[in-house]
Amino acid sequence: MPEWKEEILRRLESLKLPAARETEIAEEISQHLEDRYRELLAMGKAPAEAQRLAFAEINEGDLLARNLRALEKAATRDDAPLGGGNRELWGGLAQDVRYGLRMLAKSPGFTAVAILTLALGIGANTSIFSLIDGILMRSLPVRDAQSLVVLKWSAHKNPEAHNANIYGDCGNETFGGPSGSSSCSFPEPFFRDISEQSGIFSSVAAFANEGPLNISGNGMASVLTAEAISGQCFSTLGVRPALGRLIVSADDSTSAPPVVVLNYGYWKSRFGASPSVVGRSIRLNNVPFTIIGVAEPRFDSLSPGHIRDVWVPLSVLPQLHPTPEQKTRADDIYTWWLVIVGRLRPGVTIGQAQAAASVIFRNEMLHGVKALSKPEDNPQVAALPAQAGLAGNASGFSRELYVLMMAVGIVLLIACANVAGLLLSRATARQKEIAVRLTLGAGRKRVVRQLLTESVMLSVIGGVVGSLFAVWGSHAIIGLMAAGSDEPLGFSPGIDGRVLMFTFAASVLTGVIFGAAPALRSLRVDLTPALKEGAGGSAAEGGTGRWFGFFSVGNGLVIAQVALAVVALVGAGLLVRTLQNVKSVDPGFDTRNVLTFGLDPTLIGYKTAQADELYRNLQERLAAMQQVDSVSYSRVPLLGRDYSMSDFSMPGTVKGESADAGTLEVGADFFSTMHMRLLAGRGFDAAALAQAEVVRERAETQRAVQKPGGSGAAVNPKAAARSRAPDKAAGQANEAALPVVINQRFVEKYYAKSNPLGQHFGQREANAKTGASADPGYVIVGVVSDAKYQDLQSDIDPTVYMPSSGGDVTFEVRSAMSPGTLTALVRRVVSQMDSNLPVIAMHTETQLIEQLVSDQNMIAQVSGFFGVLALALACIGLYGLLAYEVSRRTREIGVRMALGARQVDVLRLVVGRGILLAVAGAAVGIGIALGVTRYLASLLYGVHPDDPVTMVGVAVLLVLVALAACYIPARRATQVDPIVALRYE
Amino acid sequence: MALRYMHATASDREWKKGSAELLILSLVEARPRHGYEISKLIEQKSQGKLSFHVASLYPLLYRLEKRGWLKGRWVEKSGQRRRRYYRLTRKGRRVLASQQQGWQQFVEAVNRITGGIAEAENA
Repeated sequence: MPEWKEEILRRLESLKLPAARETEIAEEISQHLEDRYRELLAMGKAPAEAQRLAFAEINEGDLLARNLRALEKAATRDDAPLGGGNRELWGGLAQDVRYGLRMLAKSPGFTAVAILTLALGIGANTSIFSLIDGILMRSLPVRDAQSLVVLKWSAHKNPEAHNANIYGDCGNETFGGPSGSSSCSFPEPFFRDISEQSGIFSSVAAFANEGPLNISGNGMASVLTAEAISGQCFSTLGVRPALGRLIVSADDSTSAPPVVVLNYGYWKSRFGASPSVVGRSIRLNNVPFTIIGVAEPRFDSLSPGHIRDVWVPLSVLPQLHPTPEQKTRADDIYTWWLVIVGRLRPGVTIGQAQAAASVIFRNEMLHGVKALSKPEDNPQVAALPAQAGLAGNASGFSRELYVLMMAVGIVLLIACANVAGLLLSRATARQKEIAVRLTLGAGRKRVVRQLLTESVMLSVIGGVVGSLFAVWGSHAIIGLMAAGSDEPLGFSPGIDGRVLMFTFAASVLTGVIFGAAPALRSLRVDLTPALKEGAGGSAAEGGTGRWFGFFSVGNGLVIAQVALAVVALVGAGLLVRTLQNVKSVDPGFDTRNVLTFGLDPTLIGYKTAQADELYRNLQERLAAMQQVDSVSYSRVPLLGRDYSMSDFSMPGTVKGESADAGTLEVGADFFSTMHMRLLAGRGFDAAALAQAEVVRERAETQRAVQKPGGSGAAVNPKAAARSRAPDKAAGQANEAALPVVINQRFVEKYYAKSNPLGQHFGQREANAKTGASADPGYVIVGVVSDAKYQDLQSDIDPTVYMPSSGGDVTFEVRSAMSPGTLTALVRRVVSQMDSNLPVIAMHTETQLIEQLVSDQNMIAQVSGFFGVLALALACIGLYGLLAYEVSRRTREIGVRMALGARQVDVLRLVVGRGILLAVAGAAVGIGIALGVTRYLASLLYGVHPDDPVTMVGVAVLLVLVALAACYIPARRATQVDPIVALRYE
Repeated sequence: MALRYMHATASDREWKKGSAELLILSLVEARPRHGYEISKLIEQKSQGKLSFHVASLYPLLYRLEKRGWLKGRWVEKSGQRRRRYYRLTRKGRRVLASQQQGWQQFVEAVNRITGGIAEAENA
């Protein structure tokens, strides 16, 4: 039979077709020639003649090659099958995907492990990214946020006589310090000046937190959060009503009737989404308000996390808070409290807006009625894009979220290395398949594309499963974050389009990263040995053929995984130790069995004397109860985040120099109720409290008669800004010094060498220049043990406890039993005393501490979880490599055992190798950890970033877990039966 | 009318070039056939007037396959070497219908002209 194929192949040679295509054409045409040949024989031709005639069909020069050339050239460019037309690429991809799915389905174990690993890695990243997206990258719920700016002033030194109310709308606001001061709070007169700059802004608005308001007229009396806004606020922001109408300029006038707009969520929860609320009347702080509308659902707050239940016009504030300060605030250049946002006119740049605002600001600061700054302080205003400028609560979470993003990045890298290891092992199993495909003429690019398609498919499926993990994960983390506050977190991160884009991009990138090495490696396959039966060369091992060649890719991947896991674990370990350290801090008082709750009778019009009487009566009634051991109250609870401090003139210091100390106003029996030890002197008796009441009432009376905007109104505003203590500065010169109790720290700092009891401090003479009146100061009547006040981490400051009077307070009720059982009882008693008086924020002291450490708790728990996940993935990687090596070397182990190796030798061989890898990884990991943990320093407490205990602890834990991961494959190696293993030899 | 004439001329040029394609598509219309069978049928049905050499036939088959008009598939029958059978795709069927119609019109036009000349000469 003539050799048709060889002849045809010779004629096709010049085309340089892929081998598979060339073979196919040759087969088809040789079949044709053979049919022709047989036909000619049948017609009676001699074989030689028949062969000549058959060959004549392809003997017309290079006609076959010429005719095929144009056709096949296009096809070889992309190895897509014929018949795909212009859809070659996609046709080829679809084929790759189909083939990939078949290959994945063929090894379900591998596929499941790889997808689960990737799902954990990608899911962890998606959940943290969804938090970053929802909290740090949240878009403002307003129209055309790009043209909205928020103003922020800065100066090298704090402006004089400046009293700032900061509500945290701008994130970081600073006062004093080496980098100067900056804040988003402005005085109302400046807001009016800016509003008149019609050339720059098309409209300007201002807003300020109005804190809690008492609401009645809608079921039980309760407290809500309110924001006061200027009349143009809603129109400037482009917010629409969901119902009724929103506040307009005409509502923001002292002559207009008080109106209120409800938050959509509040309307739904408290008013049952009733459309008839419009026109209804409610009482806020006992002032009748008409509900005029409900804001659109997406607008719940302007700065992230600051959800407000209602919005009221600025003009109603003097009615809501009938205090002298409120009445004068509109024209007061010393009280800075409004956040200003402006919408730029079309064509106006941020730079122009900034320059215009700065000119006005500098003018008022340097050349106003009273200069508040000096030229060298360089007061100026920055106009920030509102999206970035109004950071709100988001900035409080940014450090934690970026640390967590690094942690999950590490988890994803480990997952990638893990799956890359799995793929490398699998590449060995598929070596023959790839060799066959290459031999049959598959292009190398095509094989790489096929393998990459499979890895990207794995990671995309992993991404889909990971998104489900992420939904659960982000909810769990949000729960931990929200545990720190009674108010709603104000963020509702979810899996939206942007997060899905991130997940998809992360998945594809992941697929390419972990798929690249095995895919490229597959090209280095040596076809001849690979095709032989029983070939066992390891791609994972880099083809060295030695037992676990140490510098192989597989080992490298395991060492990298272990090293990364060590970094994640060290970080988590440091954060967990921080949580432990914070929780084990001795607060200096007994935190067990104490129930706290807030009352603010001033919201419903109580005067100081009335409030004091209420507090006394309530204290007596609660103390008389059988379940209650003792009761007291203070301005704020200990460890409730609130803190106030004042500066006092101290005897013995340079005149004019002041000493800082924390201040807390407390009621009778406070120290005994909190189980703080009275070290010397006495606590506060009824006389001390009565004296405090007199001081407070006098101060209030004096403030009420002072002229607005005059020097009297600006009495030592610096002190007012920093202190919530009663303004004794306004007291009478002939008044007696107020009795106070100080803590040990105060004694150590100021009375180290003398007996503090009976000592006076804080006296001040009248100063006509600054407008300060005389102050008789304080007399020390007692010394108590140190107690933590603001939080657990800060050092205890010198603290002055003063007798409390008026205002809002927090009650502390100590009980012998669980304080949770007292809540209903307390509410009933309060309600019996005044049914219009709501109980605010009822907590046990333990709960307050839990809230205080919630940030540390969240990051410790979440990073701990990711640390353990990283450890588990790394150990699965280690286990996978060893298990694979053992199964691949079964024959060799059999030979060793046949030659006399004992089981323990084999065990030692495998475990020893695994431990060597783990130790190498741990060493590399600790090296990296030493370099990067310093970035965690600001989140740590009581533990150094280089903490050796954590480092060694993590290394030991890792080696122990690695030992367990090595044991299973090692045990399997010892069970190799030499006879079975050698049967194939 | 002028437009129609021009159109006819343009498409005629097309089908002349593609008459070989038309032959192949017609032959696989009824059932899938392999290359040798196609070449034999062309020869037989044209009574030896038309024939394709291997060097022209197979590149043409591959071109038609690449255009998606034919689909080739290896078929192994018991006791025989496997052969590649070509069947008409749905797209190929549409192309064939249009080419057949064009061919019909062309033949009629040619007949009318050649017939017309003969008649004139006879007159």
